[in-house]
Amino acid sequence: MGNIQPLHGSDITPSPLKDTIFDPEFGFPNGRKEREMIATVEEMNSAKLPMKDRDYCAHLLLKFRACRADVYPFVVKCAHEKHAYLTCEYEDYVLRMKEFERERRLLARKKRIEAKLHQEVGA
Amino acid sequence: MAALIRKGTYFGAAQRQWAATQQLVRNYWNKDWKPGPIPTTREGEEAAAKKFGLHPSEYKPYPDDGLGFGEYPQLPNVSGEAKDPYYPWDFPEHKRNFNEPLHLQADMYGEDRFDVSSNPPINKWRQLGTFLAVVLGAWAIFKGTNNIRMVPPVMPKQYPQSGVKHYTFESPE
Repeated sequence: MGNIQPLHGSDITPSPLKDTIFDPEFGFPNGRKEREMIATVEEMNSAKLPMKDRDYCAHLLLKFRACRADVYPFVVKCAHEKHAYLTCEYEDYVLRMKEFERERRLLARKKRIEAKLHQEVGA
Repeated sequence: MAALIRKGTYFGAAQRQWAATQQLVRNYWNKDWKPGPIPTTREGEEAAAKKFGLHPSEYKPYPDDGLGFGEYPQLPNVSGEAKDPYYPWDFPEHKRNFNEPLHLQADMYGEDRFDVSSNPPINKWRQLGTFLAVVLGAWAIFKGTNNIRMVPPVMPKQYPQSGVKHYTFESPE
């Protein structure tokens, strides 16, 4: 089902450790919307947010933490904030999966073009 | 005068314990511990064997290689661990009897040192083979399966940083 992939399964399998080797705008004639970082560094520093949490969902995590601090010990009141944060993280993961699939298809395309070129030169 | 009297008392003490004084002065010099030259005659060998408390048939000096062991007997290499623990030794902590000659390298064959006479149930080559089989086997499994590692099919997590742009899959308005 594609839930796991061999790390070096084939030459068209992208590495999950490296960034894309292709132009991110390639194949998007209208361009792509840039991801927006809402939380500022000052806010994150002030909240002592660990580095691993300073991603594109940090503003939602800050809101969730602030809510918890405000309503403690009735933290169940922050269910909405928590859900918003976790949904954001889920969507971030889906985006990474999409990027992986895009990379895989572009690698396959590159291989296809190179094979065709090789055939033409050989013939 | 008083000094003379004090000196006299020192001499007196030495005289009262004359046996101990004599022992110290006579027997505890380095030259007294030095073994004699390697015996060449049969009588000399017997005398040397008697000196070290050995039967003449057990006595064998070290070969003369210039290191100067002299007449000191070459005793069998028996480790402390190989000696009988139930025998009533005079010195059980060293498994040694009174007047028993010491091996030239006795400090190397004590119970706290290695056992030269050991006979383990699994011999050392088999031990080495087993060790290598396990370690190399584990290494081979690691090396052979290193390339079929399974990972979730996602790209690395995107963190905002200056100079790097990340995109969604939506078109800009």
